[in-house]
Amino acid sequence: MEHPLILQMQGITKLFPGVRALDDVNLEVRRGTILAICGENGAGKSTLMKVLSGVYPHGTYEGKIIYMGNEMVFKDIKESESAGIVIIHQELAMIPELSITENIFLGNEIVKHGLIDWDAERNRTVELLERVGLTVDPNTLIKHLGVGQQQLVEIAKALSKNVKLLILDEPTSALNEDDSANLLDLMHGLKSRDITCIMISHKLNEIAAISDAVTVLRDGRTVETYSVEAGHVDEDRIIRAMVGRSIENRYPAHESNLGEVIFEVSDWRVEDPNNPGRLVCKNSSFFVRAGEIVGFAGLMGAGRTELMRSIFGRNYGIYLGGSIKVRGKEIRVTSVASAIRQGIAYVPEDRKNLGLNLLDSIRKTTVSANLRAILRGRLIDLEREFQVSEEYRRSLNVKTQSVDHSVATLSGGNQQKVVLGKWMFTEPDVLILDEPTRGIDVGAKYEIYRLIHELADQGKAVIIISSELPELLGITDRIYTIFEGNITGEIDSQEAKQEKLMRMMTNTAGSESKAGKDEKAL
Amino acid sequence: MKYIKKILGGGLRDYTMVIALVVLTIIFNITSGGKMITSSNFQNLISGNAYVLVLAIGMVMVIVIGQIDLSVGSVAGFSGMVMALAVRDLGLPWWLGVLLSLAVGATIGAWQGFWLAKLSIPGFITTLGGMMIFRGGVIWISKSISVPAPVELKVFGAGYLPEWGPTFTGMNNSTLLLGIIAVAFFAFMQLRKYNRSAKLSEKTEELWAVVGRIGLIGVVIGYITWIFGTGRPGTSFPIPGLILVVLVIIYHIITQRTTFGRHIYAVGGNKSAAALSGVNVQRTYFLTMLNMSMLAALAGIMFVGRSTAAGPSDGSGWELDAIASVFIGGAAVSGGVGTVIATMVGGLVMAVLNSGLMLMGVGADRTQVIKGLVLLAAVGFDVFNKQQGRQSIIGRVFPGKRK
Amino acid sequence: MKMKKYVSLFIVVSLIMVMLQAGCTRAPENSEPQPNAPDETSDLDGDGFPEDAVVGVALPWLGTQNWAEADEMFKTQLEAAGFEAIVQHADNKVPTQQQQIESMIQNGAKVIVVGPVDGSQLGSVLEEAAAAGIYIIGYDRLIENTTGIDGVVQFDSIKTGELQGQALLDGLAAKKGEGPYNIELFGGGPADPNAPNFFKGAMSVLQPKIDDGTVVVVSGQNEFTQCATLDWDNSKAQVRMDSLLSGFYSDMEIHGVLCPNDGIARAVITASEQAGQQLPVTSGLDAENETVKWIWEGRQYSTIAKPTDTLVSKTIEIIKSLQAGNGMPEPDTSVNNGKKEVGIYALPPLVVTKENEKEAFANDPGRLELLK
Repeated sequence: MEHPLILQMQGITKLFPGVRALDDVNLEVRRGTILAICGENGAGKSTLMKVLSGVYPHGTYEGKIIYMGNEMVFKDIKESESAGIVIIHQELAMIPELSITENIFLGNEIVKHGLIDWDAERNRTVELLERVGLTVDPNTLIKHLGVGQQQLVEIAKALSKNVKLLILDEPTSALNEDDSANLLDLMHGLKSRDITCIMISHKLNEIAAISDAVTVLRDGRTVETYSVEAGHVDEDRIIRAMVGRSIENRYPAHESNLGEVIFEVSDWRVEDPNNPGRLVCKNSSFFVRAGEIVGFAGLMGAGRTELMRSIFGRNYGIYLGGSIKVRGKEIRVTSVASAIRQGIAYVPEDRKNLGLNLLDSIRKTTVSANLRAILRGRLIDLEREFQVSEEYRRSLNVKTQSVDHSVATLSGGNQQKVVLGKWMFTEPDVLILDEPTRGIDVGAKYEIYRLIHELADQGKAVIIISSELPELLGITDRIYTIFEGNITGEIDSQEAKQEKLMRMMTNTAGSESKAGKDEKAL
Repeated sequence: MKYIKKILGGGLRDYTMVIALVVLTIIFNITSGGKMITSSNFQNLISGNAYVLVLAIGMVMVIVIGQIDLSVGSVAGFSGMVMALAVRDLGLPWWLGVLLSLAVGATIGAWQGFWLAKLSIPGFITTLGGMMIFRGGVIWISKSISVPAPVELKVFGAGYLPEWGPTFTGMNNSTLLLGIIAVAFFAFMQLRKYNRSAKLSEKTEELWAVVGRIGLIGVVIGYITWIFGTGRPGTSFPIPGLILVVLVIIYHIITQRTTFGRHIYAVGGNKSAAALSGVNVQRTYFLTMLNMSMLAALAGIMFVGRSTAAGPSDGSGWELDAIASVFIGGAAVSGGVGTVIATMVGGLVMAVLNSGLMLMGVGADRTQVIKGLVLLAAVGFDVFNKQQGRQSIIGRVFPGKRK
Repeated sequence: MKMKKYVSLFIVVSLIMVMLQAGCTRAPENSEPQPNAPDETSDLDGDGFPEDAVVGVALPWLGTQNWAEADEMFKTQLEAAGFEAIVQHADNKVPTQQQQIESMIQNGAKVIVVGPVDGSQLGSVLEEAAAAGIYIIGYDRLIENTTGIDGVVQFDSIKTGELQGQALLDGLAAKKGEGPYNIELFGGGPADPNAPNFFKGAMSVLQPKIDDGTVVVVSGQNEFTQCATLDWDNSKAQVRMDSLLSGFYSDMEIHGVLCPNDGIARAVITASEQAGQQLPVTSGLDAENETVKWIWEGRQYSTIAKPTDTLVSKTIEIIKSLQAGNGMPEPDTSVNNGKKEVGIYALPPLVVTKENEKEAFANDPGRLELLK
């Protein structure tokens, strides 16, 4: 039976300064179905949903939105909500110190004689919670709920607004398996209540389980849309559509000179500090050789950053178990300082918030992770500081007039070079780079790749986390894939194809056997 | 014009607050009929404000780590009272009383540091609690009656450098010696820096600029020395001033040249980035608070020395004077910015304002109003300059925090 | 351009500094405005000083009527006598008062009258003033713990206390019939050295009556430290009275309260009214305008007038004697302040009740105006 169309988005184009975020995107959703939208990070999924929900108001984009047969011109979220379109973001937008009832009716309070009608609100809440299958007291504060339950409250809130089209942005990315299954069941149930869902998801198994159709976006364009037959998706087709492009010649040539295994992590287990019981690293084991560049591929939220930061002096999460060996000797790292002392360096992904003190000069930043190296007696040797920073400025080709300038005045690429210099100065054996080229223009990227190669040539073990698969394939020797806290596979970069990587990054089932084999092969 | 700039060795903008200080002093000297720039007034200015400036040294560090300490006044009062009581009632020698008082300060600091660092209670709350606890404490232990302090302490609060040696110098010889040491040290540092930078890189200053700078600073220090050294017989550079100068030198080195100092700025500038660079954030918080309360105890002792008695209301409102000095000195409320030397300049601006207005016979009420306006103007000016995209002026009053 | 402004500013500054230095080097002795220290100490009879000399008056604050009056009277009467008056108040802050006294020294004062915030915390500043040859006269409060004091003008504080105690007993007999009487005790600000003396004086009258049972301190709080009112703060007194009433007088009547000044008396009366008590008999001090009215209306039983004008004129009389070169007049009595014997110029206080109110203020048109 063919359902009638509830939504058509036609020829949507959205420009940001210098970037075409959406380019003639077309999308159709049929009433009472679930549409999955797939795409790499940065493919334009979130932008498209923001256009639909009125975050980007009519007039700031080109194209038409036809909803229930009428063309819609939303000026803000309120208008789209009153039309029955509700979006639930990846980061939940609820106020932890308020109760479920208060959150559900926040901004839509039921008012009688100028006062809030608490009884009416509470009764309605109980009814809504029942519909989403949640049996808790409506007076419970949000902060006392688990993430999964919070997600259900969000849906209840959407139901309270008489939702007809519900958009969920990666709804299961923060949930454990039980909660995920529960949520998917609920979404399936909503179909019978004539509520249409759009789900952004990377997880092919979930898509297969509940969606009726899939639309794939890539580089701001719709690549293709096709329907899903009950319980089965053509994963290859989706992955090919998501990846799509070939690796251009954007990566410097490099011949690796592999040595001994110098860095080894085994059975690493870490718990999410905000969500007790949820493991963000589940028995992860991997190794890196001297002179080797190893990539970690995984979608956002797969636990790549969490894994590395927990290794880097337990900077993240609650350590449950596992061991680290550097050059064959087991080391104990309980603080960042001890990790640095024992030859581990970690360059964080969020340069501005985690990597740099923007108030500092280049000179101070360069030495900041290894002050002890420039101490003379107990005092900092300012001359040595100047020499060191000057040396790195020259060798890393940082474009600035003087090392006394503030790092805030540098471009993203040059900032990243300073950060790299800062960590090179700690003389690490193992260098972990988290998204080292994010937000950097192509030219600077090339320089950073060359630097990474140089570091490997000096015999260091280099680990790179990146969301850009072509980048990983272009500069690494070997790649591990991570999915939901598990290391799901290991591939030689020479042999790897993006499609295969993507499969390992998006599905546990298909690759577990492969990962098992690889581990035995070690 | 270019020459002056070279002699100063930096943009004139870096010296805004110093210039403001000098201009204020001169204006007051004129309006008060020459009573501002005199030996005795300068001596008063130093001994009457040394304790607040000592507090400000600790406070700038607290503000740089992005916290605030509201308890310093109460802690100063409490520690001073503990000393006075210990000497009077327990019969301790005065120096043991001083040590006890400093130990009490350190213990209080450890207590505040514990709440901030280990329990993550914001400094504002921790020290608001401390402010009440120790204000109550001082009233309690003193039964709200002033307690006379040992006479030996007067030296720390109101003493002067001793007189010795030949009289043909026409001034106090200790002060003269201090001035000579200061000029010689400055000249030595400048020449050493010149030599080294000549070796290091091609970009050096002209020698004449360095010599000019030494000459200029020499004249300034010489003039100040002369003022302090030629007062009423028996007076000279005040001992509290000497304590302050020594502390400023020590804390300038600590904040600019040690790992701990770097960590303070790192934590205040970006806590997460500091943690990921191997800085022990908790330890930095703890030590900074500990240090603050210890300096507060010292300030309390200096004040008791000057007052010759410890009173139950000693220290009330001092925290605000110290905080104002820090912000006039260009520190940022959000942390990460601020230097000891700039703070001293800020504190002296307040002190000169106070003294000048009093000399003019302006009452405490209107003085307060004017000080408030100056605080707003100084900080507003700084913020305005930052918004204009220029570099912060006041924050770089001196090449203290080397860029 | 901005830079130019700074540069020109700097040049001006340097020039002025050079000029100042040149000027000073020529005549260093004359450039010091402060008086050269005389060799003899200020206790000895001096040679006097010009009739238009500077006289400094450092008052603690203007928060009560008597200080505000003193501020006004010193200004007008000193000017009238031909002196140049610097009258400042310190907002009840010790450091501010220290700096004010220093600035008076700086301004070349010959005499400094000090109404201290805390009588024992001015030691080194006053010694500095004494060393500069300045006469220091304590005003209204004893100055302790220093040698830098030449005499104190005050109303006899023990005597004041005795009168307060006696007035309370008289009032109880007149208003509350036969004893025993339930009373409570209040003391003044502990930092003011007069406060314990007031209390001591009052207790010397009350204690025998407490011992023979005529008078009962129901709360049992009869130590000065228990009864003191920090900073003479009326609101603190009111809070204490509130808690005494709710704690001890829920089923009992309060007959009288020893109050060390008028502000505290009014606070006590207000608290009693709010607690639904009959108005207690109270003592007081200062004869503030509001209290003058209250006594006239019968709400407050008594106060003690320490007429500010007598205090101020006595002080100015001493200053004139110093100016004429006659030194400090012979004091009425002396007291040891911890460092030396200090001469006291004691003035007699006057008890005011409704009965004698009109005659007490006969010379005070401002207060007389209130009795209508």
